[in-house]
Amino acid sequence: MKKAASPPPRYRLLTLQAALLVWALAVLARLFWLQVVDHGWLARRARLQQQHTVAVASRRGTIFDRNLTPLAMSLPVVSLYANPHQVAHPASEAAQLAPILGLDRADLTRSLASDRGFVWVARQIPANQARAAAALHLPGIFSQPATRRFYPKGELAASVLGYVGLDGHGLGGLERQFDAQLSGRSGRAVIEVDARGHAYSQIERPPVEGENLVLTLDQNIQYIAQQELDRTVRKTHARDGVAIVENPRTGAILALADSPSFNPDDFAHTPPARLGDPAVSSPYEPGSVFKLVTLSAALQRGLITPDEMINCQMGSIVVGGRLIHDHAQFGIISVTDILKHSSDVGAIKIGLKLGDQEFYHYIRAYGFGERTGIGLPGESAGIVWPLRDWLPMSIGAVSMGQEVAVTPIQVVAMASSLANGGVYHAPRILLSRFRGPRPAQPPVFVPAPGRRIVSPMVANEMKQMMAQVVLGGTGRWAQLDGYTAGGKTGTAQKVDPGKHAYSKRNYVASFVGFAPINDPAIVCLVVIDSPRGGHEGGQVAGPVFKAIAERVLPYLGVPHDVPLQVQPAPIRIAAADAVEESQPLGPPPAPAPPLALAPQPAGAEVVVSTGAPAGIALPNFQGQSVRAVTALCQRLGLALALQGSGVAQAQSPAAGTRLRRGATVVVRFAP
Amino acid sequence: MRWRDLDWFLVGTALLIAVIGVLEIHSATLGTKFAGVWVKQVYFLIAGVGLMLVVSRIDYKLILESSPWLYVVSVAGLGGVLVLGKAIFHSRRWIPIAGSHLQVSEFVKLVIIVVVARFCGAARLSLSWWDIGKVGALVGLPAALVLLEPDLGTALTYLPVAAVGLVLGGMRWRQFGILALAGLLMLPLAWHGLHPYQRERLIGFMQPQADPLGSGYQVLQSKIAVGAGGMWGQGMAQGSQIRGEFLPVPHTDFIFAAFAEEYGFVGALALLGLYLLLLLRLIANAQLAPDRAAGIVVMGVMAVLAFHVLVNVGMVVGLMPVTGIPLPLLSSGGSSLLFTFAALGLVMNVRLARFVN
Repeated sequence: MKKAASPPPRYRLLTLQAALLVWALAVLARLFWLQVVDHGWLARRARLQQQHTVAVASRRGTIFDRNLTPLAMSLPVVSLYANPHQVAHPASEAAQLAPILGLDRADLTRSLASDRGFVWVARQIPANQARAAAALHLPGIFSQPATRRFYPKGELAASVLGYVGLDGHGLGGLERQFDAQLSGRSGRAVIEVDARGHAYSQIERPPVEGENLVLTLDQNIQYIAQQELDRTVRKTHARDGVAIVENPRTGAILALADSPSFNPDDFAHTPPARLGDPAVSSPYEPGSVFKLVTLSAALQRGLITPDEMINCQMGSIVVGGRLIHDHAQFGIISVTDILKHSSDVGAIKIGLKLGDQEFYHYIRAYGFGERTGIGLPGESAGIVWPLRDWLPMSIGAVSMGQEVAVTPIQVVAMASSLANGGVYHAPRILLSRFRGPRPAQPPVFVPAPGRRIVSPMVANEMKQMMAQVVLGGTGRWAQLDGYTAGGKTGTAQKVDPGKHAYSKRNYVASFVGFAPINDPAIVCLVVIDSPRGGHEGGQVAGPVFKAIAERVLPYLGVPHDVPLQVQPAPIRIAAADAVEESQPLGPPPAPAPPLALAPQPAGAEVVVSTGAPAGIALPNFQGQSVRAVTALCQRLGLALALQGSGVAQAQSPAAGTRLRRGATVVVRFAP
Repeated sequence: MRWRDLDWFLVGTALLIAVIGVLEIHSATLGTKFAGVWVKQVYFLIAGVGLMLVVSRIDYKLILESSPWLYVVSVAGLGGVLVLGKAIFHSRRWIPIAGSHLQVSEFVKLVIIVVVARFCGAARLSLSWWDIGKVGALVGLPAALVLLEPDLGTALTYLPVAAVGLVLGGMRWRQFGILALAGLLMLPLAWHGLHPYQRERLIGFMQPQADPLGSGYQVLQSKIAVGAGGMWGQGMAQGSQIRGEFLPVPHTDFIFAAFAEEYGFVGALALLGLYLLLLLRLIANAQLAPDRAAGIVVMGVMAVLAFHVLVNVGMVVGLMPVTGIPLPLLSSGGSSLLFTFAALGLVMNVRLARFVN
């Protein structure tokens, strides 16, 4: 080796050293920029990709009937959502997901490719679909447990219960009125995800469970009212109908049915006009039913007695310069007969005895012109003109139920106060609210203190006169087999909106009644709007009252107070519905048998009489979802008792068993 | 030669950085499938210190004289890797030895330092173009073999050795300028020679936002991690970018990002300060070198380490494209650690030699 050269020149070393320092400074500046200047948004950026916040839906409260049978409940479902920032290949992920979820591929691709940080992929899907989607392990796709509202009784009491939108908020009925209580408070979950999109930790603010509602409704009475009302509305081609059953002693509403009803599970496909609750929201002119107010007020003021004879002037009277014709030419008849045959002239003459002032007082005392506060949304106050707006002829119109508009619930409350010995109880549909597990015993309804409107004696006189209406008057179609009953018919011409005159074609036929006469157990109002064919209240609505009362009273255990004319048919009769379809209008001789209406202990296996050869062959539900099973049972006309959730595992009776309509099937589900 | 003659400042700084590295590897792999790698790193650290002491005791003149043979063995080794090497991560870099994978190209760096030092350290006033060509060929051959593996990052680390050798060996600044210009003009040609994944990395470096989930992902995640660290950092084992595995390979090439997220600007500044101390100490050692070849050896080591640090940190903070070269002493990986300590042993060797004459 040659002789070693001198050490490297010093200035060259220094040059390299300087270059090194320049580099170091550049890196330092960059570090400062990233860690101090840009720290804020880079840290936010980190948070954005590492975690996102989702609301954890609180479990919406269950709505029970008074026997704690669930009418509306929330089932666990899964919602899928995506963080498009973490979806690298929207098209391919959409191609994999779309067939599983039954979604449109193009739509899904578009939403997965959006520049937002959160999009819903599919909401409220069954657990098995969600599992299949999760098995794909697609980055950026997440699932969130949620609940879906489910109405195990289908259309039953739909207008009362209302319905719930996809976002879990009540949009109608009690679901809307008590949305805050039912909803509880949703919790918050911070889901932290890693680079592969796997959630690896979860910090939660636990949701606050919603309150449960217990209604005064009885699902069996509701079912009877709905069934009988539907039948008549269908048969008479009426526009719609309302039937309300109330316990007059407490004001508790036992049934509130609107016809046609709708399926709250499928409210999106229901015409909006049908989603309301006419029983509280649609005022109508009551017609002759309002004579109960006229007469009871006059009795209470001592202006008349039931036996007092009144000259009905052979069918016409002039009030305030207006000639009014009666529907029939009555001579001198008793007050009782005026009610019994619904004389307009007689009612007007009694009204004239009362005078505007007194009459108005009693109209308001019965609660007309103000909301009853039943607790359903959209309640109308009806229309009662203030006294200063009354014309000289008004008292004539009001005496026979014109120039006033009332809601069905107001009429029920009025009739109930007569049945209850003159004490008014505001009608109530909410029995109680509770949080937490279902109590063992159904809660007891504590009525609000009532207020006296007429004396017990006047109330009794009214009851006796109303009994005459049913025995031989306009309400004879409502005569019950096995029970005494009282009531009043109403046949009001509807105002033709185009002509500002009473329609010749459209009537509101109604009947309000109670039974039995002594110590009435139920008050029932039936309103049929615009029936075709017969339109008189007694003829159209009376039979509905009869049908409902004859089924409800035995169910409530009310003893018969008159001998039964027709022995009830054995319970195992199969084709009852088919026979009833062809029944003519008019006093029906055969009372409908109380089919499968005895309250069934929840969860117990139901013994079903299978004696009849005909009937529905029970399908095999195994493996089907709650929703599918419910839909199938609804179609077959079978009542369904659900146990658990998930997929059907077992059923009773076994598949293939022949059942009559209305029988109950128990299906056990497991996830 | 006595113990106290070793450069304890240099060794101390290097050991401090290596210990920080072990801690950070532990923190960055906590709860992942790489948990426990830090133990291996400790073994390699001990082995590295041993290797350093061994290398420091062999006369560097002997090493310089035997360098042609070492060079031949190295080139043969690199060829062997190409033929026999186990394919890992698309490239053949490793030869399995005794249950461990040895990255031959790391050790070839040492040989290249020595060979270049021997060639450029010969007594000359200036280097002719012919000399420059010879140095280019000398470094180019192993670099080309490494490039074929393909391992662009390591191949690039050979270049600063050549550059330092030429600059200190007497190359004129004019020649340096012409070479630099030629290199720039060659860039488009180099682009064509790149593998697709290497091109993607470059695009990812230029426009990390263009495809945040693709090639730009590592750069972006690294920058997010560094930025999320802020002034004081998120604390040991608290880096959310690491925990969520957003940061790719947080214990090897991107360990500086992991460190910066957990210890913030202050921590990163301190760590870079340690590296600067190390490198400046090496330059100081070069000035004490007894002859030019010895100086070039020390500066070669300095150049390689500086290149590693600057390119790696530059990559982490988004100043440089992703090249996949480790951060010496900090990154997990035995070959890199052994090389670094062997190189420091070489420096020590030269330092001890100043007392000889």
